[in-house]
Amino acid sequence: MTVETLDGPPTLGVLYGRALLTARSGGSTLPDRRLDLPGVRIDASLVADYDHVCGFSVGGVVPPTYPHMLAFPLQMRLMTDREFPLPAPGMVHLRNVITQQRPPEVGEPLRVAVHADHLAAHPKGAQVDLVTAVTDADDVEIWGSRSTYFVRGAPAPDDEPSAAPEPDPQVGRLPHAVWRIPGDIGRRYAAVSGDVNPIHVNGLAAKAFGMPGTIAHGMWTKARVLAALAGRHGPAFTVDVVFKAPVRAPSKVYLHTAEADGGWDAKLVSPKGKDHLLLTLRDA
Amino acid sequence: MPPTSSSAASSRPTLPRRAAIVGANRIPFARSNGAYARASNQDMLTSALDGLVARFGLAGERLGEVAAGAVLKHSRDFNLTRESVLGSRLSAATPTYDVQQACGTSLQTAVLVANKIALGQIESGIAAGVDTTSDAPIEVNDELRRVLLAANRAKSTAGVLKALAGLRPGQIVPEIPANREPRTGMAMGEHAAQTAAAWGISRTAQDEITVASHQNLAAAYERGFFDDLMTPYLGLTRDNNLRADSTLEGLAKLKPVFKPAGYPDTEATMTAANSTPLTDGAATVLLASDEWAAERNLPVLAHVVDAETAAVDYVHGDEGLLMAPAYAVPRMLERNGLTLQDFDFYEFHEAFASTILATFAAWEDPIFCKERLGLDEPLGSFDRAKLNVVGSSLATGHPFAATGARIVPTLAKLLHEKGSGRGLISICAAGGQGVVAILEA
Repeated sequence: MTVETLDGPPTLGVLYGRALLTARSGGSTLPDRRLDLPGVRIDASLVADYDHVCGFSVGGVVPPTYPHMLAFPLQMRLMTDREFPLPAPGMVHLRNVITQQRPPEVGEPLRVAVHADHLAAHPKGAQVDLVTAVTDADDVEIWGSRSTYFVRGAPAPDDEPSAAPEPDPQVGRLPHAVWRIPGDIGRRYAAVSGDVNPIHVNGLAAKAFGMPGTIAHGMWTKARVLAALAGRHGPAFTVDVVFKAPVRAPSKVYLHTAEADGGWDAKLVSPKGKDHLLLTLRDA
Repeated sequence: MPPTSSSAASSRPTLPRRAAIVGANRIPFARSNGAYARASNQDMLTSALDGLVARFGLAGERLGEVAAGAVLKHSRDFNLTRESVLGSRLSAATPTYDVQQACGTSLQTAVLVANKIALGQIESGIAAGVDTTSDAPIEVNDELRRVLLAANRAKSTAGVLKALAGLRPGQIVPEIPANREPRTGMAMGEHAAQTAAAWGISRTAQDEITVASHQNLAAAYERGFFDDLMTPYLGLTRDNNLRADSTLEGLAKLKPVFKPAGYPDTEATMTAANSTPLTDGAATVLLASDEWAAERNLPVLAHVVDAETAAVDYVHGDEGLLMAPAYAVPRMLERNGLTLQDFDFYEFHEAFASTILATFAAWEDPIFCKERLGLDEPLGSFDRAKLNVVGSSLATGHPFAATGARIVPTLAKLLHEKGSGRGLISICAAGGQGVVAILEA
């Protein structure tokens, strides 16, 4: 695999624009290259903006979902290349697994590396994994994630979808919280994440991509659930989330949580009982 | 005491001692956006304090302290109690502090004042609470607030303009405080509805509690029970939530509110009548050492024996938001070698009729008492004829922070009337907390 070292983070707006406007050649195989961004330093003020939108407390540890903010522009850079087999606009996040050895610290030099993996058929299209590793100054991986994205109707090699069993949270019948998802949450999360995917910020565009209306970013819902579990888990853990159905904005969802052996289980469900998000967190 | 103790030390009373409840004053409680719509927390608290000063001849007196609080508070009222005392006829040399523990506020301030008296740190003090849901603080939209604060922090005109570029029309919509738990997004009534459903509390049982509360309060007014506990305010002489003619048949006609989340098939049982309404009001209670009261020829109605505060994990645990008193009471009973049946009066804050019924059901349930409280035997039941005998929050209304300072003197006076005895106070509070206390005469 070739490694391309970047000297700065790509600009997401430009990438989306390019993805929407340029013709893709849409190769059938994944690019055999890794994007590396060295010398990344987490900015306390940007983390505070993120904390405000996701419900984390400002000045605490860097939220476990925050390094995704560093990785996402690199993921987009890979996925908006003309040769990338799947189109980026309208892409939906299906699953995200984060393994954190320790929380990154504000200001420490980090290297973010991203590559694509496992292009596979999905019953309704195609899916691909984007793998991220965040390493510290000693070249030790402190945070890693695997994001699975789905594109409706896209062709894919007839490969088996990723085999790891989905999280199966065991929670009680009673909701622990009732969340009213604000109608502007897509716009607000886009402002802090740079993820201006039209399905989150524009109702008409969302419908054009087969959504019922604007939907909340999957990573926002994951962050929001982890914020609700703040203080209840250790610094090293794996948190596995499946996004079963998009959460519309605005809408009402129920949060169910339960302490599990060595961690926590959680679910976001609609008031009628439809699963939106399944989460398991296991301490290392 | 070592023999070397100075004579000054030996003149001190034997400590700790039990703090005395001398008397009280409150203003009638008013339904929200009614009689007190234009009165602020500071207005009501000052008025209630001045009524207490007049009743006990405390004008110009320097008390040990005044501890009070409000739940819904304007940011300008950071020193609410101090400002109220400065505007009252008490000596300006009386120190104060503000406390906020939701509906437990003024029972907690009574405990704080009583403890300082018990330790000999002060001889007298006032515990109080006040709340208005009419003159409530309205916050600017959170995003607008952040934009304005960023503009305020900017050091140059360009910086100010850049910050103000974040203004959006939607930010004009203000945020009105809601009776909602921040971590669960559920209104207190929705939490209570879940607990009621979990314990299978019936609509009829809730309505019975409600009717009793109104009838008992009406009868207490008729016999003049509140004459020396209350001062009229803004045209009110009685709590205007009181419906003396409440009947079970009438209450049965009300439509339920507060559907319990997670119980799609359970019938909603909680109505506007068997839930406390939003109310405005203030209450104060005077506590002192026996010596302080005797020097002034003031009565001692009862003494504070003990208190306990509990908290439960209603966020991710499986306990109801308002169930903390179910945990606090047995801990306090154990410490005092008492059983649930050892009381002459039971003063339970009726946040919702279903809340106290769920608490009673829990204490009768061997599984709850074993698994949650760690008790071999359930606490059991008690004689309901001794419950809230002069009415409680369902009838009086419930200005959140004022409720403890209403209940403490009510129980103290009941014990004083009886001549001797023991009473239990229980108040549940937002945030999964609960404050309970024992008084004796």
